[in-house]
Amino acid sequence: MIPELVDPVVWSDIKNQIDGDFGQGVTQKVLADLVPVMLERNENQSIYLIPNDWVRSLNMDFEGFTLSSLGTWLGDLSDGRFRLSIAILDQIARYTDRQLVVSRRGAESFTYGRSILRASVVKLTPTLKRRQRVIVKDTRGDCIGLAALSVDASRIDRLGPEKLVAKNLVDIGWYIRRFG
Amino acid sequence: MAIKRERELAKRLAKEYGYLPYMIERYLALWGEEETREFLEACERPIRTAIRVNTLKAEVEEVIGRLKDKGVKLERIPWLPEGFWAEFDELSPGALTEHMLGFYYIQGVPSMTVTRVLDPQPGEIVMDLAAAPGGKTTHVAQLMRNEGIVVAIEQDRLRLGSLKSNVYRCGVTNAIILRGDARKVRQLGIVPDRILLDAPCSGEGLIPIDPSRKTSKKMPDIRFCATVEDELLDAAVDVLAPGGTMVYATCSIAPEENEYIVDAILGRHPEMRVASIDQEFGSPGYTNPYGIEMNNSLSLARRFLPHRHGTEGFFICKLVKEGDDQ
Ligand SMILES: C[S@@+](CC[C@H](N)C(=O)[O-])C[C@H]1O[C@@H](n2cnc3c(N)ncnc32)[C@H](O)[C@@H]1O
Repeated sequence: MIPELVDPVVWSDIKNQIDGDFGQGVTQKVLADLVPVMLERNENQSIYLIPNDWVRSLNMDFEGFTLSSLGTWLGDLSDGRFRLSIAILDQIARYTDRQLVVSRRGAESFTYGRSILRASVVKLTPTLKRRQRVIVKDTRGDCIGLAALSVDASRIDRLGPEKLVAKNLVDIGWYIRRFG
Repeated sequence: MAIKRERELAKRLAKEYGYLPYMIERYLALWGEEETREFLEACERPIRTAIRVNTLKAEVEEVIGRLKDKGVKLERIPWLPEGFWAEFDELSPGALTEHMLGFYYIQGVPSMTVTRVLDPQPGEIVMDLAAAPGGKTTHVAQLMRNEGIVVAIEQDRLRLGSLKSNVYRCGVTNAIILRGDARKVRQLGIVPDRILLDAPCSGEGLIPIDPSRKTSKKMPDIRFCATVEDELLDAAVDVLAPGGTMVYATCSIAPEENEYIVDAILGRHPEMRVASIDQEFGSPGYTNPYGIEMNNSLSLARRFLPHRHGTEGFFICKLVKEGDDQ
């Protein structure tokens, strides 16, 4: 398996999605001087960011071996949809205010794969709208995952404590649940 | 007569401690009765949990502070700046947020020591030929501060998943992960500055952690492992850059998988020599195991032994290849 440079059209879609979710210029900040490359696997493609000077080693075919991962895992493309990887979230978190801070109990339940209820919300950027993806942090400021708002932030004060605020898209418990 | 007595003693001890007799016979031949008993007793005691703070994700002091706040008791390991013995009591070491955040890796003391002995430097090309689940790959990347390349090879598809998971969790960004048989590493055409071969082995050092090992492996299993270890080490020697450094390690205490393997390599590869290890730990490698004469420089290798060092058993040998550093 040989990594390929990401097609500019595909890259521009990915960039628009990330910037749309987290703010203009965020993708470029995360990318810095790295280069996006793509690895085909089954029906999906995984996108990685690698240093410029690795690009010439892409011509290597890793004969007899299967390339499984390289550099920084940005995310996966499947059926034309791009999903951010858990591994890139704390970098994105540095550059965006689109964040949701959850209580200690909320964080615990979130890292077991559960979604976020009103009772757990400590802080949410008020201008955010339904479907917005947000970086989820605990009260210490650790980035613990990614969620999608199920309500406009402006409306959460009207919700009861058990009402869903954000759906878990991925969380750091994945590392443990997936491979123990 | 003496042989008969030793056989009977081996049988008795094997029964008493639940081992296959051939193992005890080898221990008696290697260590004599007193040390064998010490070893068998030590293997009945649990090994202390240890963690390595992952400085790619957090500062040592920050992690110590956070874990202490949670009631984890930590004690520094003298020769490992990022290593700590850790008592988690009723907490589960793998389930803490700090673990999921990649702030630490739960890792045996000998394993952390292996990577420190390799001493990978930022900017180098380092190969880890038997990488999953990535304890040492992530440590290599940590010591390289994510600069340079660590090529991590693993053959087993399932274990590859845990390798990737750990690499991502620990914030490693300079790894190239390949699935395949590291005995074919020559085909890659990569000339690494350093190689880590934490070889697949019979696990004879892990008895304190996994008592089923007392009966799960027979002599042919050890011979089979030794063959693979020899082939892996041979391939590693071929690709290592002139002037390069390599560490051969196993979690086995069997000389058949350790000193024998390195001794044979030294015989076939005059360009290789055993190098001394700077860190102070463990005891010297054997130069005369079972009365078989080995290359004297094997005393520069190090062994961790449950009855001497309170850790799982491990063998660590640092080798250098003649030639100019590039
Ligand atoms: C002792 S474990 C490595 C532990 C790892 N270095 C760590 O610190 O987490 C040995 C690994 O080698 C793998 N392996 C066995 N034979 C191999 C081969 N021929 N090529 C590559 N990997 C191999 C096994 O699947 C196993 O994961």
